Amino acid sequence: MAFATGAALLSGALAGGTYAVAHHYLLNQRQASAETQTYNDARLVKQDLTAAGTNVADVLSLLAPAQGTRSLVYRGRQWFSTSVSVGRSSVPTALLAMVRQGTPAMQREVINGAPAVAVGLPLPAVGADYFEIEPLGELARTLHLLAGVLAGAALATTVGGVVIGRWASARLVRPLARVAVVAGAISQGALDQRLPADRDADLAPLVASFNGMVDALSRRIERDARFASDVSHELRSPLTTLQASVEVLAVFGDGLPIEGQKALELLGTETRRFSEMVQDLLEIARIDGGAAPLELEELPLDEVITRTVEAFTAVDIPVDVRPGAKGASILADRRRLQRVIANLLDNAGKYGAGATLVSVDCAAGWARVCIDDAGPGVPAGERDRIFERFYRGPAAGRRADGSGTGLGLALASEHVGAHHGRIWVEAAPGGGARFCLELPVDGP
Amino acid sequence: MPGRILLIEDDANIRSALGMFLHQEGYTVAEATSGEEGLVAFEARASDVVLVDLVLPGIDGFEVTRQLRRASDVPILMVTARTDTHDVVAGLEAGADDYLTKPVVAKELSARIRALLRRAQPGSRPPTTLSFGLLSIQVEAGVVTRDGQGVILTKTEFRLLCELASHPGWVLSRPQLLERVWGYDYFGDTRLVDVHIGRLRAKVEADPANPSLIITVRGLGYRLEP
Repeated sequence: MAFATGAALLSGALAGGTYAVAHHYLLNQRQASAETQTYNDARLVKQDLTAAGTNVADVLSLLAPAQGTRSLVYRGRQWFSTSVSVGRSSVPTALLAMVRQGTPAMQREVINGAPAVAVGLPLPAVGADYFEIEPLGELARTLHLLAGVLAGAALATTVGGVVIGRWASARLVRPLARVAVVAGAISQGALDQRLPADRDADLAPLVASFNGMVDALSRRIERDARFASDVSHELRSPLTTLQASVEVLAVFGDGLPIEGQKALELLGTETRRFSEMVQDLLEIARIDGGAAPLELEELPLDEVITRTVEAFTAVDIPVDVRPGAKGASILADRRRLQRVIANLLDNAGKYGAGATLVSVDCAAGWARVCIDDAGPGVPAGERDRIFERFYRGPAAGRRADGSGTGLGLALASEHVGAHHGRIWVEAAPGGGARFCLELPVDGP
Repeated sequence: MPGRILLIEDDANIRSALGMFLHQEGYTVAEATSGEEGLVAFEARASDVVLVDLVLPGIDGFEVTRQLRRASDVPILMVTARTDTHDVVAGLEAGADDYLTKPVVAKELSARIRALLRRAQPGSRPPTTLSFGLLSIQVEAGVVTRDGQGVILTKTEFRLLCELASHPGWVLSRPQLLERVWGYDYFGDTRLVDVHIGRLRAKVEADPANPSLIITVRGLGYRLEP
């Protein structure tokens, strides 16, 4: 666009300037030559007329004016001219007046339908006024042609400017657009994408450094992923052995003395808790490392929630499916959604004396699930902190069964966040806590 | 329910602990420390269930599963260290019937094995033959033929087919199939169903890519076209 404007302005100015100069120069030249010719011719006429007894008409006919020039003489209240096409009326009034008063003058005027220069000279010596009318028709035509050509050239230059402008910016924009596309793909996780090599000397360094950066990043990501995977495997194996051994020992529980039975019980509980913690930690590590993409599918919202609640606990927790949610579908990762619900129910059980109500609603493109419990509720100051990792609040020390890793709500928060949803806690009408999560119905 | 279990696991401690536990549960346990050893052991003695860890020295669990599958329809239970879709699906496609993630909870292992063995027993099924086009299912005998040719299905695949065939034209959801065939509650992994449907289609459909018998009903589940 800038190119086009610049080209238009420049060529317009140039054309305009050229035309103005040409016009001015040519016109002036013409006028000067008309003046000179008039003076020469006037001198001749004067000479001839001075010679006694000459006829103005004859004198005029002796003149050999340049092509197209017409001469007129006004003498003794009579008008004489070299051509029938010009007469008194052809002489511009203003010019006539001036010459009558004795002043030589020149005027450019449209005479007989064509532009012309009229020059008038008083000849007091012979009591006559001499006029010459020189047509400018040809000059005018030449100037028009020139104007046309220049205008055409200006237009052509402008169009050329637009074309060049387009081409130049496309040349710049296209590779940049390519960079943007590849960068976008990489940020979505396609780490094998690279920019193709560019022959252009200006762009080659950009391509090289971009590709280098992506190489370094993907190496780093691979390393992290491998670490997480190695750690994962190394941690899970001993835990398997521990748990299985505890189960084996449990069979002999009755034969053990009281301390032995107690020790066995502690072993079992803590092994289970440790195992859960490791799994939660590995889960969080996977999410942090970006190695946990969502597996989205269209789910029947009310059915998933209802059945998950049923499967979670033997105790019947009422599920209130509001009209807005009946028959509604949601695009989400089924496993994660179930884990979040299970997490919240588990939480309600551990710290909230059990969940009392689960409500499901759907409005304005958002699905909301709320779980109320019968516990003491969460104080306003803690409502943000409880979703932090390892935060277990003042209730931490009291749990005798040692369950709870402090990661449950943090994981729930991660899963909900991955869906671009929200999770929060507020006060339930009955006095306990109400945990709510909101997910977009159309998925993240 | 007693049975013979082949445990293919390279970690000595896990092998020991799980072996003890399963023995306590009443099973006969044969142990193998690598995939190669496991295959040899399988040839030597019949097993009712094979437990195979995916991570093994030498050939990995996927390969072991594939080779076992080529020769037999024995129920195979995979033990994975990750729940990544890739591992689970790859293992199921290789021929496993079900999977467990480490750390393996012993009680859960026991339940899965029981479910697999239950599937293996013919049990009390109606003595009928169901036919759909070229496909013929002799429910009690556990035999499936297509256009007269016998089709080899694993016990799990057979159960899945029977479940769909017992309700022709009805849509069965993934959780429903998971419960009836695998015995999982609603928390089960629906990928088990998806991969097994794929395996089933590969064996009974004329054109597995364009199934005409076992239809996917988007958002709802699967249906057998009567």
